[in-house]
Amino acid sequence: MTSSAGMTKRAAPVLACIGLLVVWQVASLALKNDSFPTAIGAIRAIPDILGDKESLINILASLRRMTMGFGAAVLVSIPLGLLMGRSAAVAAFFNPLLMVIYPVPKAALMPIIMLWLGVGDITKTLVIFLGVSLPVIYHSFEGAKAVEEKMLWSGAAMGLSPMQRLVRIVLPAALPEILTGCRTGLVLALITMITSEMIARQSGAGNILFNALDMGQYDTVFAMIIIVGAMGICLDAIFERVRARLVRWSEPQFDMPLSFS
Amino acid sequence: MMSRQFPSNLVLGIAPIALIIALWQGLVSFGFAPAVLLPPPGFVFSRLLQQFVTLTFQQEIAATLIRLFAGFAIAVVLGVSIGIAAAASPAINAVVRPIVRVLAPLPKVALYPALLLLLGFGHGSKVTLVAADALFPILLSTYYGASTVEQKLIWSAMAAGTPRHEILLKVVLPAAMPSILTGCRIGLVISCIVVFLAEMITSTDGLGHALVTAARTFQAVDMFVPLITISLLGLILNGLLGAARSYLLRGFPEA
Amino acid sequence: MRVRQNGRGSNDAPHGCENDSLSGRLLAKLVPLNPRASGTEDGMTVLSARSSEWVRPVTQQGPASAIIEIDRVSQVFQTSARKDHVALSDISLRIEERAFVSILGPSGCGKSTLLYIVGGFVSPTSGAAKMKGQAIKGPGPDRGPVFQEFALFPWKTVLGNVMYGPRQQGIRAAEAEAQSRALIEMVGLKGYENFYPKELSGGMKQRVALARTLAYHPEVLLMDEPFGALDAHTRTRLQNDLLNIWERDRKTVLFVTHSVDEAVFLSDKVVMMSKSPGRIRQVIDIDLPRPRRRNELLLDTRYQKYVVDIERMFDESDDGGVPA
Repeated sequence: MTSSAGMTKRAAPVLACIGLLVVWQVASLALKNDSFPTAIGAIRAIPDILGDKESLINILASLRRMTMGFGAAVLVSIPLGLLMGRSAAVAAFFNPLLMVIYPVPKAALMPIIMLWLGVGDITKTLVIFLGVSLPVIYHSFEGAKAVEEKMLWSGAAMGLSPMQRLVRIVLPAALPEILTGCRTGLVLALITMITSEMIARQSGAGNILFNALDMGQYDTVFAMIIIVGAMGICLDAIFERVRARLVRWSEPQFDMPLSFS
Repeated sequence: MMSRQFPSNLVLGIAPIALIIALWQGLVSFGFAPAVLLPPPGFVFSRLLQQFVTLTFQQEIAATLIRLFAGFAIAVVLGVSIGIAAAASPAINAVVRPIVRVLAPLPKVALYPALLLLLGFGHGSKVTLVAADALFPILLSTYYGASTVEQKLIWSAMAAGTPRHEILLKVVLPAAMPSILTGCRIGLVISCIVVFLAEMITSTDGLGHALVTAARTFQAVDMFVPLITISLLGLILNGLLGAARSYLLRGFPEA
Repeated sequence: MRVRQNGRGSNDAPHGCENDSLSGRLLAKLVPLNPRASGTEDGMTVLSARSSEWVRPVTQQGPASAIIEIDRVSQVFQTSARKDHVALSDISLRIEERAFVSILGPSGCGKSTLLYIVGGFVSPTSGAAKMKGQAIKGPGPDRGPVFQEFALFPWKTVLGNVMYGPRQQGIRAAEAEAQSRALIEMVGLKGYENFYPKELSGGMKQRVALARTLAYHPEVLLMDEPFGALDAHTRTRLQNDLLNIWERDRKTVLFVTHSVDEAVFLSDKVVMMSKSPGRIRQVIDIDLPRPRRRNELLLDTRYQKYVVDIERMFDESDDGGVPA
């Protein structure tokens, strides 16, 4: 009984995907709009994109930039967030700045950064870095702030230095929250990547998408959307797996992704 | 204690912003960056004030705000009702959960070209994109809030004679309000970001369009103006939502 | 896994697989729980207390009649895929009108679950609870709960909380307000009408919760360790106040506690429970005069004997342990 329930649970997202594709297929058949290809048409166009060497290189380059931006952001943001969470002064120092930056669309900085650093990889990676940083900082901050004071006292009584306490107590205690931030950051990295490529229109997945749009290759447009969507879902699923392993000790989390929160 | 802490915290908080502006000014003054690429801050802010009073710029702001509010409002209505329905009914939950699981991590910007094809280049596609992006954080936090409502609140209301169908409105919705408003705050910031990006990608008006126009003509000053404006709009809207929040949650601890 | 008696554990547990506990968690809160019956343990009726509970209240006018009847109630929670937890096993009990009855037992003996069954919040796996001869199908304003967690509506003021019940009964706003103000004064919170619960201490919150429940005139008060979250001093004061309020109109009270002193001090009858599975060990009449005054009672040897006897009985039991 348990195993069949588990099976249903695992199959549900797949069923949802199939359901959404069916809805799409029916809608496109009903609308009979030239610019709205059927789901099957779009899926047929996927091998063409992935088979094309140049598009594949483009997509892989996008992914590489995304990984670099994401990695750098996580490395910088977690320590900063933890420090902010444990020191009121550090928090007071950075909070207003972060509040000002928060509503600025990071991908919108593309044109300005392009002006300074050119259109190369650095610009795009930097933009992704900025996009990922804020949620990771925010969640690390919240996680570190919520660490039980008594736990730190116990650590201090055992002779841990403040630095050791941060690494050995605050970091693991805040890990579930930090990973929630990282998951949000991952989705944001993908979004920022696509958007920056849509704006800069030089290379990458976002560029393929809009070139196809300009040239009226609607099958390709929708095929690209499926590819990007699949990237998002796969990355999220992989991350979720890693997260579940890392924080097995923590309270069971929501199995709906709390992205952005 | 709070009141004594406040001014020193404020000074501490303004420091990095002041530092950045000073650094910015320094870079220009000492000739590290040419003014064409990095206009001095004074110039940018005076340009900002100058722009604010022009009708064209006000129209750009209005266009952006209309799209932002329309998309955000749709997201709030859909997010709160679906979230509560999914928490209250296992049948709805069984349908909603896998769909949300698939759609939430999907980068919605990627749908934008499809929306353009289906809904055209006007307001419709942008509003839909904003709504699609702001929907999930609101839906998820509503669901979370509604499914963690203290059991005994519901029992107390039932014992006092509240019929079952009224419990959702009278107990679950107000009890989930803190969580719902947290979701709304995230949704609002996302709306700000997304509306701007959509306008940058294709538009004929709005703040994002203003940025792209400036970028095409290499007017660095005019590129800063819409960016600062959207940041200010974000801060103001966030402040308004914060005020609404502290009014609505005046009874809740730690509101 | 042991089923927790307080907090959410008790309502999550019956929902089966933990993985699934989120789906429809809210629904579980709206519908009285009816966990899958798996082996109702009918054979184990050794300690069934059906014959020993017929108790007459100490002070009464007219013949006493049972207002609540609990008939062979069992409650089984499915705690994990394969294990069941028998929270209550074959409980039978009659509670008479205007009696103050305490259910006393160690944590985990199912005493709160029994109260929730009477409240109609939880449906028993087998057996039935009746109120005035009618089977209990769900919560109703004839049975008013007071919880350890207070469960005040945080978005309403003290007055708003107390007025909630009367308004729900369709009483006009002005009238409901007048009644509620009087009740707030009775529980000693005059002047706090417009405060929010968060601005009150634990003891004050519990006074509001009591007033809120009294406001819709339930015939039976169901008190679930109401003073369990309070400090010793506040607890004593609230016990005294509760007795004073109760002695005015003598509602039927079903009072769950793990404190022997509290049970003896307040009750006409103490129902002692043991755990794993939850059963009634013994029902003891507390034959002490009313109105009871704390300072007199503590010196009363009869009171002391009740307390000592009950504590000894818990000590002797193998599985019960000393109630905290």
